[in-house]
Amino acid sequence: MLRLIFQRLLALVPLLFIVSVLTFSFTSLLPSDPVDLIIGDTGTQEQYEIVRERLGMNEPVVVRYFQWLGRAVQGDLGTSFFNSVSVTGAVMQRLPVTLSLTAVSALIAIVVGIAAGIAAALRPRSWVDRFATLGATFGQAVPNFWFGLILVAFFAVNLRWFPATGLTPISASPWEWLRSVTLPAVALGLSASAAIARQVRSAMVGVLQQDYIRAARAQGLPARRVLFRHALTNAMVPVVAVLSFQITVLLGGSLIVEQVFAINGLGTLAITAVRQQDIPMIQGLVLVMVALVVIVQLATDVMYGLLNPKARPS
Amino acid sequence: MTKWTAGSAFLVAMALGLASASAQGSGTFKYAEQVKLITMDPQQQSGSGVPYLRPVYESLFERGPDGKPVPLLAAGYEVDGLNVTIKLRQGVTFSNGEAFNAEVAAANINRGVKLAIIEGLKTVASAEAVDEFTLRIKLKEPDPAIIDSLCHTGGMMLAPAAIADPALDRNPIGTGPYVYDKAASREGEVRIYTPNPTYWDKDKIGLARYEVWELPDDTARLNALKTGQIDAGNWLANPQSAIIDRTPGLKLIRGTGGLNYHVILSDREGTVVPAFADLNVRKAMAHAIDREAFGKAVQFGLAEKSFQPYGKDDWAYDPALEGIYEFNLDKARELMAQSKFPDGFTFDMPSIPIYQSRLEALAGFFKEIGITMNIVPQEPGTLARISRTTNFPATNLVWATNTDPKFLALRYIYADAAYNPFKAKPTEELLALAQQGLESVDTEVRGPIYKKMAARLAEDAFLIFVTNTPILIGVSEKTANNPTVVYRFGEDSINLRGLKAND
Repeated sequence: MLRLIFQRLLALVPLLFIVSVLTFSFTSLLPSDPVDLIIGDTGTQEQYEIVRERLGMNEPVVVRYFQWLGRAVQGDLGTSFFNSVSVTGAVMQRLPVTLSLTAVSALIAIVVGIAAGIAAALRPRSWVDRFATLGATFGQAVPNFWFGLILVAFFAVNLRWFPATGLTPISASPWEWLRSVTLPAVALGLSASAAIARQVRSAMVGVLQQDYIRAARAQGLPARRVLFRHALTNAMVPVVAVLSFQITVLLGGSLIVEQVFAINGLGTLAITAVRQQDIPMIQGLVLVMVALVVIVQLATDVMYGLLNPKARPS
Repeated sequence: MTKWTAGSAFLVAMALGLASASAQGSGTFKYAEQVKLITMDPQQQSGSGVPYLRPVYESLFERGPDGKPVPLLAAGYEVDGLNVTIKLRQGVTFSNGEAFNAEVAAANINRGVKLAIIEGLKTVASAEAVDEFTLRIKLKEPDPAIIDSLCHTGGMMLAPAAIADPALDRNPIGTGPYVYDKAASREGEVRIYTPNPTYWDKDKIGLARYEVWELPDDTARLNALKTGQIDAGNWLANPQSAIIDRTPGLKLIRGTGGLNYHVILSDREGTVVPAFADLNVRKAMAHAIDREAFGKAVQFGLAEKSFQPYGKDDWAYDPALEGIYEFNLDKARELMAQSKFPDGFTFDMPSIPIYQSRLEALAGFFKEIGITMNIVPQEPGTLARISRTTNFPATNLVWATNTDPKFLALRYIYADAAYNPFKAKPTEELLALAQQGLESVDTEVRGPIYKKMAARLAEDAFLIFVTNTPILIGVSEKTANNPTVVYRFGEDSINLRGLKAND
């Protein structure tokens, strides 16, 4: 297992290199120009040239890339084009926000998804099953930003149970953090919980019909033990694969949900950076997001191996 | 006697305590800004975001309730040709303890001139200290708007230590009533300000804490206002501000000044689009626009018809120009028939996403008189630069209605004006009016000149003014009823001097 982790982490290096080359190449192809935003509507051509020179934008892309790479390998992802905010600092400040939102969303998705999936699988074609299936279809069909807006309108604006915007840091107030993370996490987790519920139901229906489950029941084992110890453990193997994908989707979805709830996470930072054409910030964000996805996949592989000994590397 | 002494001592202690509490202020006021903070260096500030700066920085002058400059860090001024002498307020220190004097003020102005980002300082050659509290600004050319320019970012004073700080954009130090609390602020989310212990006018500190929230999403900002997370915030004319306008418990303040949306027929000599050289065509286009319908449909009923660059509260506003290009399709068709292009023509117009719906409406109006306007999407943020090139024969921009009219000439009229990329020569009369407008600082003298200039511009019809949208500030009911809330003239912010919390 350690070898797997080491191999994956090693593979991260060329992956990040390729991604950084692609990001740099694509951003240099963009038709807009951050210098326009810096000098404003009244800036002159002379100022335009001065700022371009200051930002190093007159250098060839290859030169700029290697200058950036030279600093990046030393842990310096550069500074925003627009102010003195360091890319590493900005990303690290927002990372816990997005991670906490994604983690709570994933938790909601897992709990709701597994519960709904099991409930549906235990009584196939019953009203519980049909209701769970309908809910899962709804959850996958509804865009999370729209669901977020509905949640805000009802629970924040009308009932005033939750704040409409922002995410209070957990260090500032755990209770306020919980209140502020609930609505965005529910909005974000809905779709993932639907996907997990469908997967759990499908896997559980299959597993519950296996001979070893019948044998366990015939031996008089308690139903709860049969369900959670024998059936769910095996049914979780394909679910973990879905979970890995869903967590990646949650990370992407947080970009939009953060906008709806005005949460200052990586998504908000990314959208601001793209709007401003803040190339160092975009570059840093892409690398961090890629690293996050790789880490999530690595964690999935490890979990997969723990659940399924056959899948462990020899 | 003892009782009297004890009682007196108690009263004195109470009075001192109250005075101290007054100097420190109490409560919190929360304002939401629609643009993210880019920089806290006022001299590098090229766009919106002034509400982030006002708590910390004070300018030499500020606009009074009638829009005319009144001294703030200055004590008075005199304009003599190309020399502007400004007496400075004495006894002012920056929040870090550094003294505010003429030498510091001159260094500030010279830095702004060198950076050359602030449009209002482009006429300044240099600044120097005459004595400890007398500043002299030397102009390159007559500039009657120089004092007005010093009401804004161009006149904001930075502490010498802040100027020397490479990270000034996040470490502002000024003379203002509040100081920036970097540790309590959250980058990209909220800026926290606390009372400035060295402030020169402590009675004007009414808050213990002032917060500016970065909420660029209009719906999120609206929800924050509805739920009481913010006390006020600024808006453009959009569906969310229209909702504020009709929501009980909220109020949409229509501030002085605002934005004028207009079409510029840059190629007015017909280099690329010959039809634009035909006055009948230009007038037909001006008459073809149903500004009322445009304001209702595209700007959600928050805009009003415009036929000149100035707002109704501006000293250069001319009521005689109202309705000069009232919507009249018959007249527009008649003018087209009289032109050399009775069968119409086609031209390209650059568009950024925020103007897309406006241009679609305009294209519909022009289509009615046989003119096809192709809307060509451009990347956001590039319209100003593109408009300064000959890539397009026409463009569309906004103009702050309380900008001094001298900038009209600098942007659109002179042959080398920023938004005259085809270098079209102005008429003698227009040029003469633009020059005359610079010869006096007195708005009573300048007003009639610029009214004539607006009339002449209307006659030439290469600038087609469409609508004016006022500065919009959405506030809660408590804020609307707070007597200490004073909206700055022509600016999307609240004057912090004397502002107290709602509760």
